[in-house]
Amino acid sequence: MELTYEWTSAFAQSFGLIYLMVLSVGITVYAFWPSLGKRFDKAAKSILDDEDGPCQ
Amino acid sequence: MFRTLLKPFTRFFEFHAKTHYRAERHSMALSVGIILAAGVGGFIEIAPLFTIDDTVEADPDMRLYTPLEQAGRDIYIREGCYACHSQMIRTLQDDVDRYGPYSLAVESKYDHPMLWGSKRTGPDLARVGEKYSDDWQVRHLVDPRALVPESVMPQYAFLLDTALETDSLPGRLAALRAVGVPYTDDQIGSAASDALGQALPDTERADGVLDRYGDETNVRIFDGRSDRLTEMDALVAYLQILGGLTDLPTKTQPARGEE
Amino acid sequence: MMNRLTTGERQAAMVLSGMVALAGFAMAIVGRGDPMGVHGWITLIFAGVLFFLVGNVLYGPEPTEDRSASYYDDPTKVGILLSLFWAVVGMGMGVWVAAQLAWPELRFDAAWSSFGRIRPVHTSGVIFGFGGNALIATSFHIMQRTSRARLAGHISPWFVLLGFNLFCIIAASGYLMGVTQSKEYAEPEWYADIWLVIVWVVYFVLYIRTLARRNEPHIYVANWYYLAFILVVAVLHIVNNLAVPASFGAAKSYSAFSGVQDAMTQWWYGHNAVAFFLTAGFLGMLYYFLPKRAERPIYSYRLSILSFWGIVFFYIWAGSHHLHYTAIPQWVQTLGMTFSVMLLVPSWASAGNALMTLNGAWHKVRDDATLRFMMVAAVFYGLSTFEGSFMAIRPVNSLSHYTDWTVGHVHAGAMGWVALITFGSIYAVVPVLWRKETMYSWKLVEWHFWLALAGTVIYVFAMWNSGITQGLMWRTYTESGSLAYSFTDTLVAMHPYYIARMIGGALFFAGAVIGAFNVVMTIRSAGHQAPQLDYPTGSEANEPAVPAAE
Repeated sequence: MELTYEWTSAFAQSFGLIYLMVLSVGITVYAFWPSLGKRFDKAAKSILDDEDGPCQ
Repeated sequence: MFRTLLKPFTRFFEFHAKTHYRAERHSMALSVGIILAAGVGGFIEIAPLFTIDDTVEADPDMRLYTPLEQAGRDIYIREGCYACHSQMIRTLQDDVDRYGPYSLAVESKYDHPMLWGSKRTGPDLARVGEKYSDDWQVRHLVDPRALVPESVMPQYAFLLDTALETDSLPGRLAALRAVGVPYTDDQIGSAASDALGQALPDTERADGVLDRYGDETNVRIFDGRSDRLTEMDALVAYLQILGGLTDLPTKTQPARGEE
Repeated sequence: MMNRLTTGERQAAMVLSGMVALAGFAMAIVGRGDPMGVHGWITLIFAGVLFFLVGNVLYGPEPTEDRSASYYDDPTKVGILLSLFWAVVGMGMGVWVAAQLAWPELRFDAAWSSFGRIRPVHTSGVIFGFGGNALIATSFHIMQRTSRARLAGHISPWFVLLGFNLFCIIAASGYLMGVTQSKEYAEPEWYADIWLVIVWVVYFVLYIRTLARRNEPHIYVANWYYLAFILVVAVLHIVNNLAVPASFGAAKSYSAFSGVQDAMTQWWYGHNAVAFFLTAGFLGMLYYFLPKRAERPIYSYRLSILSFWGIVFFYIWAGSHHLHYTAIPQWVQTLGMTFSVMLLVPSWASAGNALMTLNGAWHKVRDDATLRFMMVAAVFYGLSTFEGSFMAIRPVNSLSHYTDWTVGHVHAGAMGWVALITFGSIYAVVPVLWRKETMYSWKLVEWHFWLALAGTVIYVFAMWNSGITQGLMWRTYTESGSLAYSFTDTLVAMHPYYIARMIGGALFFAGAVIGAFNVVMTIRSAGHQAPQLDYPTGSEANEPAVPAAE
């Protein structure tokens, strides 16, 4: 198959949109996945007290 | 509701989370994710442009920069002229009325890199070639405010006193050929001599330039002094060819009344 | 500082700097008569000095402390100081460049002092010297704290930091000699580019290896931003700088791309340098230092993840908005415009997230100039991303492009967002690193804050005025249908704004000088803090690293 300008630009314009939607849905699901909530809270709080040196 | 809906999948997901527990994998997965999210977009936006040649206007008669003009272009880059002067006339009416027919893709086909610019602290130069005389260009570069009192352009008097280094020109043209500019072996081999010849009309060298680059080539003493080849010669030769590599834009865009 | 390295590490450092010095010498020989030769000598001197510094203490006593019990902060400290040094150089150059546009005689007559040559010294000095060093230093700090792990290695952080500064020196000195590829924000020539790739690979490996030492499965979101910064900048840098040198003994090279393809590649690079150098990395700073300083966790961690991926994904498409109405195909312009507008969502999510974190801690913002730096930075981030999306709309761009409006927009982001969050982070981190109770003078922090804010506002307003004025003058027609103003007419109209811009920049520069002075005085003279934080405090203890109202 030859890579013509028509083909590649049409691909860019269609695949780009699909890629965008798939990625957005995936990320939203990840960010709001219920069971990850605890982990996120812990991470958010963890930085408030980290000056005591590396974990041994 | 959300939870019950997803329940069948949670086991699968937790399994995943567990494999991610291996620290190494987690950070590498993140890296791969970043590359995928960022890389794909750029690739599929830019890649089609490399197939553009079969749709864009073509001009078989498009001229190449002569060695002297290319040397001038290198000086234009060295001095950072591109920081204040664009070389891209947009498809806007006032751009066209002020600077001439809008720029076509083919015009910067041999520009490695392009100098479209991003800021017009000074005017656009895409079609400045032959708009002013050589003498005006030289005097303006030596002291811009002597000709345009309001100008904020730096003066470049030292170009007039700096001899042009021509030894590296064959190497420069060869590098340009490596990235796609169709210079011939002959043009590369005689680059240094051609640079000299373009500024010395009515000599054998000058005839060589016309042979290799076409009769339309500007062959003249650009900086007003025939005793030596200066960087001023090169820069003015470059400025005078801007917009003159092809006449396609004027052919395809008939002028609208007065300019 | 060197006594924290083992003899083996000192030997390795000596071998490394010796190799770099040799490479510099080779460059000096091959490139004699060309600026590349000068760069060879600079490299030789730079690496030679390091060689002798390490060599002097090669057989000094071995470190006695238990190194795994503490963070390795020496490279961070040096990075902060280098960042402040480059801030003064880069911003000082900026004031001079601005002054040249108001009074062109200030160019003087040297070849090296023209606007075209010193303007990249300003841009690179500020972006790479100031911003880059700050990013590297804070990333070292944050990657250790969030992972609760010491840096993975004692030589590689120095290699990254000093190697990056060698790149900055070669870049800045090159511009003065006229060595430039003319690609904006990617001006350094091929050998500097290759060197940066090496440095960057080591940086990435160091980051990943340090993260691998963490105990938690989850990587704190600030690290995501830093990782995106490192990875994507590497990709952008390599692709955009593909070039063929005219000779391996000279600096000049020719880009692999030309015309339309080069324009798209350059602005794909240029815009994402803004995204991943000037935004992603600094958002990493924001997501660590702002909650830390406010002593409150980030308002919504989930939102920070969402906006992270939004920024990573949307930004990469937006570059073509630099090429509206040019010879680039229309659909590419439309794509760039669409994604630029969509970018507003993750950008405002980040800015909003930062401001919501402060909700309930406004009294701290009032009392603590350091936190105020970060708060105003978040506000400017929100403003300039809105402005950016707005300017990417084609009809708006037809007015704003090529004018000072663009310059004003960039500086709203660079001064208001990037520099303010950096100074805020530096003021937050310096007392922690040097174990001081507070900064040397909180009054000077206040002075810096107000100078920086005033300078930014004056600068941005001057450029808005001048840009919109010029854009409108360019497109004004007389009744007979001809252009009403010549180009020089618009130059005359610019003059007062150029003076105002220089004043704004000078105020900002003065603030940076005060900041550098304050940091140096903090290191030299402020009282030592009781070293309680050197020891495990237990997870319940939530002692602030620095008293909030300093």
